[in-house]
Amino acid sequence: MKLLAIVLAVVVAAPMVLVPVAARAAEDVKIALVAPLSGRWARQGQLKKMGAEMAIAEINAQGGIKALGGARLVLREADAGDSVEKAVSAAQRALSREKISAGIGAWLSSFTLGVTEVAERLEIPWFTLSYADSITERGFKYTFQTSPVSGVQAEQALDLVVDLARRNKQTLKKAAIVGDNTAATVFFFKPLREKLLKAKGIEIVVDEVWTPPLADATAIVQKIRSAQPDIVFYGATNFPDSIQVLQKVKEFGVKVPIQGVGAWLVTPEYVKTVGKELLDNIMTVTAAHPLKGQEAFVKRFTERTGEPFMTQDPLMSYAHVWIIKEAIEMAKSADPKAIRDAVAKLDLTSGPAAAALAPGRIKYDERGRRVGAAPIIVQWQNGEPFTVVPVEYATRKPIWHGGK
Amino acid sequence: MGAGDLAQYVATGLLVGGVYALMSIGLALIFGVMRVVNFAQGDFMMLGMYVTYFLAVGAGVDPLLGALVTIPPFFLLGVLVHRVLLARVTGGGDPGRQHDAQLIVTLGLSLVITNATTMILTPTPRGIPTAYATQAFALGPVLLNQARSYAFLMALVLAAAVYVFLTRTDVGKALRAAADDPEAAAYQGIDVRAMHALAFGAGIALVAAAGGLLATYYPIEPTVAGNFIVLMFVAVVLGGLGSIPGAFVGGLLIGLVQSLTLLVLPFQLQNTGVFIAFLLVLYLRPQGLFGRRLRTV
Repeated sequence: MKLLAIVLAVVVAAPMVLVPVAARAAEDVKIALVAPLSGRWARQGQLKKMGAEMAIAEINAQGGIKALGGARLVLREADAGDSVEKAVSAAQRALSREKISAGIGAWLSSFTLGVTEVAERLEIPWFTLSYADSITERGFKYTFQTSPVSGVQAEQALDLVVDLARRNKQTLKKAAIVGDNTAATVFFFKPLREKLLKAKGIEIVVDEVWTPPLADATAIVQKIRSAQPDIVFYGATNFPDSIQVLQKVKEFGVKVPIQGVGAWLVTPEYVKTVGKELLDNIMTVTAAHPLKGQEAFVKRFTERTGEPFMTQDPLMSYAHVWIIKEAIEMAKSADPKAIRDAVAKLDLTSGPAAAALAPGRIKYDERGRRVGAAPIIVQWQNGEPFTVVPVEYATRKPIWHGGK
Repeated sequence: MGAGDLAQYVATGLLVGGVYALMSIGLALIFGVMRVVNFAQGDFMMLGMYVTYFLAVGAGVDPLLGALVTIPPFFLLGVLVHRVLLARVTGGGDPGRQHDAQLIVTLGLSLVITNATTMILTPTPRGIPTAYATQAFALGPVLLNQARSYAFLMALVLAAAVYVFLTRTDVGKALRAAADDPEAAAYQGIDVRAMHALAFGAGIALVAAAGGLLATYYPIEPTVAGNFIVLMFVAVVLGGLGSIPGAFVGGLLIGLVQSLTLLVLPFQLQNTGVFIAFLLVLYLRPQGLFGRRLRTV
């Protein structure tokens, strides 16, 4: 009986002891993606997932993480839903259920603020495309912000637009500010309204901010029509609101350059909903967009996903997965703390991650902000958005709308 | 601010309110007859938008016609949902406990419909590009958006049809009798359960048609109901709980107040105007504009 017990104990215990040793040669490295996969931002979460999955497929096809004996990357996605509370609890569940080496998310700045607190507490390096300045103003060690922050975007974008106008022999004298009161838009408009436009000698002739959803855009577009600004700074992050404004712009025959503030203005569904004529020449500022020389890469993405083109959300999560891969190679470990230290020392100027983001360098400063991160101006031309500024990365020449 | 501008604000408000009105009468019909607060009403509207979209994209049916085509299938869907789900929690039993069960059923239904649609049709917004969404009729200095004008006219016609049905036909009268006093109606030989099925089916069909009309100028996504559901409830309560003409006027009024609020308040406070008007009406006339003293809010 005693012998039977010993034999049984050995049989039961053996796999526990032996399997991890056998599997350690190539244990999967798990990356968490916390993004809205249900609710009103589900589409953005879905796009982020597409980019991350593409990078993981490429890395695994190339033999996985070499420093870890060809370990494969796997994605663990968690639905951030439509509120900060849901995003935080999704992150908590995803990060504490199993060993996660690094994470990406959570698209909306307010979600990211909550999710990065969880990651900081659990000491897991976290990568985000969110814009809010406050994300990297809290002294966190594990948060890495790849986009230029809102404050920087507003300043640099205004310079780019003024310069673009000048090169087209236009001077900007009157501006309209039109948008909703969601966080990213508010942070962008605030410096424009308070100092930046005045410093350039530009007068604000229309300043209309609404709470989504917008019931009707008539009053807004009527004001733009009668004030005749030289440029409209436009921040309608809620898709139906934006469609109503653009339809009304066409209905009222308003001809004015529209400068959007955010990647929300260059998603494929715009073409399907309002048609390409209405979009032509509309520009927007974004943190990432396919650059010159990335044509083959973009083609791989569109073939893989069926999306007509690539935008900031998949591009950023694609780059983030590659950054995590490079950091693991450098750390020679899947331990989150080791990866964090490697990211802090990382300085990439080649490879898929560096190639994906202007100005072609991946290095984070002591606050966790990407060094040299600068906004990109994207313009709709014939139903597709192209990078037009900065010129050295542009895939098309910018067209100044209307031209007086 | 000239007279032309004021006229434009009024016209815009009425056009916006027309579709709110049609959305709301379905809700009012269901509440009036069944005393059920249907939280899934907006989700049926969303489904109506999708059906209209697929008819337009797949079969080239003009969305204005598509909106009408949604009526028969959604009526049947409503009857089915009533039979399978709502009949179990309405008509008899302890009213307090039934009320809780109804809330859970309709809220649950709303969550299931939204998330199933997100899973099956993906969260990508879609839209029907129509020429009339970006064109306007010029009435002197006032521009009337064509899509909204057509939607407004069709909303008027449908609401009038419902009104005539309720007041002039035997079935309509039976429906009102079942609403007024289910017990007495049953003694008169009216099948109250069938009336409930009819009211729910018609309520769903109406909101689906409103969705179809909305789809002529508004993008469609699984969460679109959230942009309208609160206004629908406000319209129904404003008009007097369960009153069909009340809900219609309530819907129009909301559109008008939203638009005219902009004359005095900044855009961000647009819906504040609606809720101030709402509170005022409830304060001065707690039963709502068309409600009877029987049931106060």
